Amino acid sequence: MALVLRWSFCLGLWCGVGLSGRAEGNLSEYQVKALFLLNFTKYVDWPPTAFVGSNTPVIIGLYGETKLGGALKNVVAGKSVGSRTIVIRQFESTDDVSQCHILFISDSEASRTRGILDKTSALPILTVGEDPVFAQSGGIINFMLKNGNVRLEVNLAAAKKAGLTISSRLLAVADTVKGKAN
Amino acid sequence: MQPPPFLYIIAAVKSHLWCDALLVLLLMPVLVDATDTNLPPKASNDLEELTLEQLVNVKVTSVAKEQTDLFSSPAAISVVTADDIRRLGITSLPEALRLVPGMDVAQINANDWAVSARGFNAEFGNKLLVLIDGRTVYSPSSAGVFWNSQDVVMEDLDRIEVIRGPGATLWGANAVDGVINIISKTAKETQGLLLSSSIGSLAQDSATVRYGGELASNFYYRVYAKRIDVSESMESTGTAAGDAWNASQGGFRMDWEPPSQNVLTLQGDYYYSEAGKPTDRVSLTPPGTTLIDDHEYNESGNILVRWTRIFSDSSQLTLQTYYDHVQQEDGFGIEILNTYDIDLQDRFALGSRNDFVWGTGYRYQAVENTPSYELTWTPEIEYIRLFSVFGQDDFTVMRDRLHLILGSKFEDDSLVGWEIEPNGRLLWTPAENQSVWAAVSRASRTPALVELNGHLNVAAFPTAPPGPPALVSVFGDPDNVPEKLTAYELGYRVAPAKNLSFDVTGFYNVYDDLIIQAPNPTVFVTSPPPPHLLISSTWLNAGAGDTYGIELSSQWRVLDSWRLTASYSWLGTRLTAETSSYVGRSPSQQFQIRSYLDLPYHLELNGAIYFIDRSLSPSPTGLDEIPAYARVDLGLTWSPRKWLEVGLWGQNLQQSMHVEFSSQQTPALTEIPRSVLAKVTVRF
Repeated sequence: MALVLRWSFCLGLWCGVGLSGRAEGNLSEYQVKALFLLNFTKYVDWPPTAFVGSNTPVIIGLYGETKLGGALKNVVAGKSVGSRTIVIRQFESTDDVSQCHILFISDSEASRTRGILDKTSALPILTVGEDPVFAQSGGIINFMLKNGNVRLEVNLAAAKKAGLTISSRLLAVADTVKGKAN
Repeated sequence: MQPPPFLYIIAAVKSHLWCDALLVLLLMPVLVDATDTNLPPKASNDLEELTLEQLVNVKVTSVAKEQTDLFSSPAAISVVTADDIRRLGITSLPEALRLVPGMDVAQINANDWAVSARGFNAEFGNKLLVLIDGRTVYSPSSAGVFWNSQDVVMEDLDRIEVIRGPGATLWGANAVDGVINIISKTAKETQGLLLSSSIGSLAQDSATVRYGGELASNFYYRVYAKRIDVSESMESTGTAAGDAWNASQGGFRMDWEPPSQNVLTLQGDYYYSEAGKPTDRVSLTPPGTTLIDDHEYNESGNILVRWTRIFSDSSQLTLQTYYDHVQQEDGFGIEILNTYDIDLQDRFALGSRNDFVWGTGYRYQAVENTPSYELTWTPEIEYIRLFSVFGQDDFTVMRDRLHLILGSKFEDDSLVGWEIEPNGRLLWTPAENQSVWAAVSRASRTPALVELNGHLNVAAFPTAPPGPPALVSVFGDPDNVPEKLTAYELGYRVAPAKNLSFDVTGFYNVYDDLIIQAPNPTVFVTSPPPPHLLISSTWLNAGAGDTYGIELSSQWRVLDSWRLTASYSWLGTRLTAETSSYVGRSPSQQFQIRSYLDLPYHLELNGAIYFIDRSLSPSPTGLDEIPAYARVDLGLTWSPRKWLEVGLWGQNLQQSMHVEFSSQQTPALTEIPRSVLAKVTVRF
């Protein structure tokens, strides 16, 4: 069957009843999130210091267990940003995250988010999360699920601290939230 | 050894020339270069062109990560979609369940169906739990579902999720051989005016009107009314079956989805139906037992509130409460059932490896039975209190590879005491396109009230004069305990290509304490008068048995515009001798193939062929053998405008008529005839 529930969510009596409906199309939540990440490479400017050379790849880091990996691999396959290729890396600890340009922190890491953000806040890393308090806690962009859509929240103070410039086009489709810059 | 089912089909098809034409029609798509512009893009790569503005407005499959992938459900789950129902011109809930691989759906007469999974089919399939939008419709008195009083607006259905096999850890008692979740769309998804009307040669006439609007920002509602009229069918003997059916239903749903992470739903329905049900009138004075044209009147209503708070993708809390009122009157008396139910469910991540869910619920049911000579109850008013609590953890043993799921439900039912329903499941995903799962679970079926407190007079007949008349009765026993199942399941799924998938499930079920009718010695009794012979049996936990089987299904998207779905199931049943004389035997083999084809000019050609092996179905005189049959449905839909859809279906085309199941009330078998159905749907 084309549509099979993830057992671990098909729980209890309601089985997702009452949550926002399924798509008419075939896009999963993580396909949409992956497409957003690809778009961020175009609509965010990093300071020149973030890249060693003009051909240095853009590194998208994934932190924690997430279904995003597979979708992202498909989305970025064969894509580049100008002369830069896009590389995906999975991280298990904060030791080497300084190499990446975008760091997606899975909601499986909710309890560790604060610690990760403490390490990255002063670095030119676009932190992206999916935890309702992510942007308030100093994350830069947060994915929020609202009525079956993936919406964006941006913490401008945090972006400024990281030295990133977010284009007005991206800001136009996002909600800005006040939050600490960490 | 039975010949494989495809031989039957080939033989069946050969015997009907026009069927050859049909087969050609079904296979024609191979030759047609159809184009389709409505399909969503296939792969993510086609989507990079989506702008940021479009992306924020894309509807994702679910907040619940439901769809994430085919391969991560360690259970035999199938989904009947709104598209399946629309394409095949399905007009009732049980007919929609026919599409589920291995499901045994048999129409008894114009207004009743026998539905089961993995064996034991009966007019009241007592091992299958059915919920409509989270509200149980399983009757505690009869242990089963009155399908002729369960209906929804088909166009407002989102999907029907069916889990074959035990689901008791999450859903509780009676989720023994399966759980059916009937889920309607949200009010937001059903905005605007819908008018739909069908007319059929079987007179499956229906009219539906639904309107959905927005009361305030993010506050949506819909209201609907529906009426169906089904004319009576014929019995094998050529006489009218007295099973005409009509029903009127109305209801509403409101969803408030404020921008914060809350969803609040309020919904309710009111229903009135009248279904012909010939019933035996039993009397100790001549002529004894007479079959009379009787009716089943059902008047019911329900109201439900559900609040969901979403904290994050992996954490949410749901609180639901409902009141359900059913009043049913038939030849056996009047039953009034009031149900009050409240449930809480909470899911959260526990560290990075544990996905935990727990819940608790309380249900209070008051059942009031007004007796008839045929059926009496002691006591006549029964109160059922059910308290339950469950917990289940999904533990990631190896990221993306191995999950272990352990959980249990604990239920205290005032009728039968505590039941524990644990399960353990293992999911191994060796590669992205394949997965293996295994499960061991336990489930129980609460005895029906009639099996505890009932006294049923089935028949009476005069013996040769001057002998006394004889009465045939069945008694309940208040000491009956729940039936128990221990189930072992193993499943494998593989997608060798993006457009092709296979799903195989094997199961071995061990049942104990099955409730069967154990015969008592025949005695001569003087009270109540007149003096008579009492030939009786008692419902007792005296049965046991095993079932085992394989369910295979496959989906193949041959072209963007052409999809094929096929399934085959095989079922073995091994019951003790006492059990096998009372329990129905579901068909040992079933096979179906469905074809959905999109044609140019906004046309769709959809067809389905079902093969059902012979079965034994319970009837007043024992078990009736139902011969194997094939069933062919073919339909054409046309939507010349966005707001208009017209459909024409031929159903049961294979034979002029056939029998699918026998009735518990009458020895006569009702024929299901070939029929034509036309339907117009308008949306504004």
